[in-house]
Amino acid sequence: MLGFRISSAILALAALGPAATVHVEFFEKRIRPLLAAKCYACHSARTLASGGLVLDSRAGWMKGGSRGQAIIPGQPEASILIQAVTHSDPALSMPPAAKLTEAELADLTAWIAGGAPDPRTDAAPRASGIDFAKGRQYWAFQPLPAAKPGARIDTFLLAALRSNGLVPAPPADKRTLLRRVTFDLTGLPPTRKELDEFLADRSPRAFEKVIDRLLASPHHGERWARHWLDLVRFAETTGHEFDTDRPDAWRYRDYIIRAFNDDLPYNRLIQEHIAGDIVSPRLAFSGMHYDSPLGTSFLALGEERNAADDVGEVRAEKIDNQIDVFSKTFLGLTVACARCHDHKFDPISNKDYYALYGILDSTQIAESGIDSPAHLREIASIHAKVEAIHRGIHPSADSPQPELARAGDSVVADFRKDNYTGWRAGGAAFGSAPRNGLADSFRGAAELTGTLVSSSFKVSKQYLHVRLSGHAPDNGRRRETAKVRFNLVAEGRPVVIAFDDDGKMAWKTSGLKRQFGESAYFEIIDRSRQGYIRVEQIILSDNREPPAGEPSGFPAEPAGLVARRNQIAASIPDSYFALIAQEEATPRNARIHIRGDHHNLGEEVPRGFLRVLQDDPAPYQHGSGRKALAEALTHTAAPLVARVMVNRVWKHHFGHGLVRTVDNFGSTGERPSHPELLDHLARRFIDNGWSIKALHREILLSRAYQMSSAAAAARQKDPDNRLLSHFHVRRLEAEAIRDSMLAVSGDLYPAVYGPGVVPHISPYQDGRGKPESGPLDGDRRRSIYIQVRRNFLTPMLLAFDYPLPATTAGRRGVSTVPSQPLILMNNEFVTRQAYHWAARVTAEHSNAGTRIEAMFLEAFARPPLPTEVAGVKQFLTERSWADLAHVLFNAKEFIFVR
Amino acid sequence: MPLTRREMLMRSANGFGALALATLMAEDRATDPMKVRPAHFPAKARSVIFLFMDGGPSHVDTFDYKPALEKHRGEKLPIPMAPNAPGSPAKLMPSPWKFRQYGESGAWVSDLFPHVATCVDDLAIIRSLHGEHSEHTAGNYFMHSGSSLQGRPSVGSWVTYGLGSPCRDLPGFIVIDTGMIPPGGMDLFGSGFLPASYQGMLFRKGEHPVADLHPRDSANVQQAKLKLLEKLDREALARYGADSAMEAAIVNYELAFRMQTAVPELFDFTKESEATRKLYGLEEKDTEEFGRACLAARRMVERGVRFIELLSPRRQGVDRWDQHGRIEDGHGQNCKATDQPIAALIKDLKTRGLLDHTLLIWGGEFGRTPMAQDGGNRGPGRDHHPYGFTMWMAGGGIKGGQVYGSTDEFGYYAIENKVHVHDLHATILHLLGLDHKKLTFHYSGREMRLTDVHGNVVTDLLTMS
Repeated sequence: MLGFRISSAILALAALGPAATVHVEFFEKRIRPLLAAKCYACHSARTLASGGLVLDSRAGWMKGGSRGQAIIPGQPEASILIQAVTHSDPALSMPPAAKLTEAELADLTAWIAGGAPDPRTDAAPRASGIDFAKGRQYWAFQPLPAAKPGARIDTFLLAALRSNGLVPAPPADKRTLLRRVTFDLTGLPPTRKELDEFLADRSPRAFEKVIDRLLASPHHGERWARHWLDLVRFAETTGHEFDTDRPDAWRYRDYIIRAFNDDLPYNRLIQEHIAGDIVSPRLAFSGMHYDSPLGTSFLALGEERNAADDVGEVRAEKIDNQIDVFSKTFLGLTVACARCHDHKFDPISNKDYYALYGILDSTQIAESGIDSPAHLREIASIHAKVEAIHRGIHPSADSPQPELARAGDSVVADFRKDNYTGWRAGGAAFGSAPRNGLADSFRGAAELTGTLVSSSFKVSKQYLHVRLSGHAPDNGRRRETAKVRFNLVAEGRPVVIAFDDDGKMAWKTSGLKRQFGESAYFEIIDRSRQGYIRVEQIILSDNREPPAGEPSGFPAEPAGLVARRNQIAASIPDSYFALIAQEEATPRNARIHIRGDHHNLGEEVPRGFLRVLQDDPAPYQHGSGRKALAEALTHTAAPLVARVMVNRVWKHHFGHGLVRTVDNFGSTGERPSHPELLDHLARRFIDNGWSIKALHREILLSRAYQMSSAAAAARQKDPDNRLLSHFHVRRLEAEAIRDSMLAVSGDLYPAVYGPGVVPHISPYQDGRGKPESGPLDGDRRRSIYIQVRRNFLTPMLLAFDYPLPATTAGRRGVSTVPSQPLILMNNEFVTRQAYHWAARVTAEHSNAGTRIEAMFLEAFARPPLPTEVAGVKQFLTERSWADLAHVLFNAKEFIFVR
Repeated sequence: MPLTRREMLMRSANGFGALALATLMAEDRATDPMKVRPAHFPAKARSVIFLFMDGGPSHVDTFDYKPALEKHRGEKLPIPMAPNAPGSPAKLMPSPWKFRQYGESGAWVSDLFPHVATCVDDLAIIRSLHGEHSEHTAGNYFMHSGSSLQGRPSVGSWVTYGLGSPCRDLPGFIVIDTGMIPPGGMDLFGSGFLPASYQGMLFRKGEHPVADLHPRDSANVQQAKLKLLEKLDREALARYGADSAMEAAIVNYELAFRMQTAVPELFDFTKESEATRKLYGLEEKDTEEFGRACLAARRMVERGVRFIELLSPRRQGVDRWDQHGRIEDGHGQNCKATDQPIAALIKDLKTRGLLDHTLLIWGGEFGRTPMAQDGGNRGPGRDHHPYGFTMWMAGGGIKGGQVYGSTDEFGYYAIENKVHVHDLHATILHLLGLDHKKLTFHYSGREMRLTDVHGNVVTDLLTMS
């Protein structure tokens, strides 16, 4: 049979012409289309790579799959591919659905016989062609020059204006300036009182005083935290199908607000983002919990799939998103472009990407306790009293069961014998060691809360058996996020173990088909003041049946003592928890995913940073490498990191960055309009101890910031105003528009910090994971406190370009969509705020004239012009004050700042 | 009929447009995102109606006739399943519906679609679609945006970004929701990294289809407010110095104001003939809901709306097209609700001479397994299946009366003339005159495309002229 094929192969060769050997042209015309049509569906780097074999590159078939090299050039008979397509081996018949035609078989055989020429090299891992030494010459990677003595922001700007024949605009009037700076620093309009004070203050330091007052306001942190949250795709649900809650995400939001309010040095903020669980710990101001680990929550904020058909893909995508967000946020580089190949434009190699990948792959993100030692002591002291009583009523658990595990069972934990080695306990519920042979979150008080999280491991058994009991008061909800739960957390789909509430320990079993081969970890969680969970043993096994062992109970408790105990237990304070990063027990390097395909693994890459910024992987071999990464960002890479951050701050004050592509300092981004100014600011930033507030002061005190927006002569010469001859007119961000309405109406509830408010859900929002609607007015709180639910973002905010929490968004759009005027004209929130505003000014001012003046001052920080007064009075002859308030909300001046 | 921006401004010389007229003469994307932009090359299709059948309609029960399933009933699938594929190879299940040949083309259609079957000579039935995701949300995102991740622009966003929309008083990309938002939520119709102007606007059923469209004020109160507003804005614009974003925001009120009347008018079917109402099945309980959506879609096409997406109607006790069990009931109800309205839409567009300029696309995020899934006492169903499934296209440059591509004899793998979801996207854009490799948006350091770095136009599907 094969003989026939070889002969027809020779015929095929002969048909090509007298002196034909097989050329690439033959491959292109006959073989590539054949492989593409019949094989790629399962055997390409882009699809399934079934059996590890890919046929869309020469390297792919040379390497072969699980059966070895697929094609041996020149030897069709010896090539597994030919065996497969001729169906000569019943166990290996390809393509599975329909055999190739005789002509196709002949072509394949001829091609291999002729040496299998194949130009497709692109799928193979390429040696990096990047010249890193040359790459380091790029402007953004250059060291920062020393500070120029006496140089000021205006020096740099004026020089550029003059050389282009332009002059700066005159200073803005005080009202305009106060409105501008108040929105910039707090996201709120100035009050009348603030306006009056500023207008009355004739001292040369008047504006400086305003800046200091605003920087000291707790609302400053809210405003700037929101800018930061745009960078880290902040959201409080997982999105995708079910939009599951991430209950602790708001703690990260508060952490960021505190960081800006407290002027946490930016280098420290970075270190806490990358390695906050490792660097020297820092307590929150309250002293109740650690603040520093909260920075690492940013790694946990991405989208998460509810159920994956390809777990490896999910892992790769999650880490890709982390790399993308990390590199854009801190470095202004699009490192994720190097996922499949070397970056096409920047000196970032494919290996660099997987060096970072290894760091993140060696990092576990889990729900953990962040209580301060003092707080834990306080809990322990109350708990001690509970225990004293409890000991009287509950001498010990039942007698220990005999050894139950069988041969082939893999005992993950037997708390009758084991301590918590390999586990991390958070909060107070589980104590520091098992008690009475149990990992027990009760310990005399349901009020105790805590977490117990295992290290990651590879699932290599078919079944999970857990002997446990517990009480989960909220078990009606999705159990994987229930407050009391036992989960095997796997990338694709968690295994949730239900347990009985009858006070009896019993075995529970779950199959691990979908999790087999994956990396996973256990979490035993009790976040409820009413619930508890007790775990005795955890066994992984290939045996479908759990080990023997009858359910066993606990002795009943005498009611009188229980009441006394419960009374004391009620005063146990809550523990603090957050989703934070921790080191994996066994850090691992990543292998290159050839062309970004996680099925097609190439060489192993040592954990490390971008070579262009630091050419030394050594420090990254300790632990995950995050500590070294944090170090590198704030030292080796400091010039770039500082440039990126000062540019972000500049952008929010002036409307555009000196580099307009604020998230992309690479060669596809824009060049700085004022490179020396950017360097000057970055240098000053570092020299001032990375103080963001000092940077604000320096920028806001410049003449440039205080210019008017009158364009004058610049219209023609510099239509984009890149040289900053005048101030940019800007539309307010979504949150500032909503917050302004609340502020002006007098409704704003100015509480800072705390759990978010469930968003108002209109009948026009639907889909899975829809929450019960929150209040229309968001409890009158600032927009930053409205929960960010990925699938139920607030329509009013979205209409005004609130960014999707997908990746870093350092620059929001300013779009024009009809839903904007429709919301401002017809939305109930807007009309109600107008009504409240009108009611307030009506109560405060009896005279129509002063009332009109008050409204203009509150909305626009200026009194009405005489023509406006006339128009408004005319309007009021037929319409109400609430109608006027509504019109003022709709006025462009309300949502634009100059 | 649609007005150009300039005409609109001229006509409304006393309205919001007038004060911005001077500087808006140089129209651009920032001030007029829906401005009609030239295609890359001439094309027939001007509008798209995407009939998105959420949940995954079974190809082997609708348009992909597989007699072998009858022959091998109850047997194990004899070919290897795709890795990680859902379902079990056990028990091949023939379709409970009879298939017949229709039209001059003789295409096979099951008894689920007796009305659409009468239109087969207008359809190009593609039986070789294949995707990469066997799970709804990823599949839905992939079918809409070419990526299985959240937050990428939807096809409708790309199309309106590329071409604008000639309709001046309705959005360019409209999603008609008949009760079921697919898994993945509103981001399926989002503009992702494209400007928000290109996001789909959801039209619900009921009295007030669009959020915040219905004025809370009476007409004269709103007029009075807008009059004062116009005065304030005119003076503010002078003070702020003709800022283009501010001007755009002012003009934007014009569209919003017009939408307030255009949308109720769109859904006012009183002028539609009795014959038309009957055709769409508006008088019958089963078909009324989707019939209204289809008729609204035709009226949107008449008004120049660029991209219209229709979602599966909600049926009592039926979870979209996702029949893991009781497929006879679920698919039966879904088809009863949609078959006649869809056929009516094709015929009505054709009668009005609109079909040539309107591209219709029917299909879900994937098909269903040829093997049965045990639905317990609810009766059998089928599992998710992205490795070979059917969609059809009609109108707007599509060569009708053809069946393109095929799956293997069991309907498991697409094997002949395979059409990947990226190829479908490339073809949709091509039919609208857009080159999928040239329709790009710079983002994240790259020129992003609907088709990423993939996609080939399936030229066999196109008419020659």
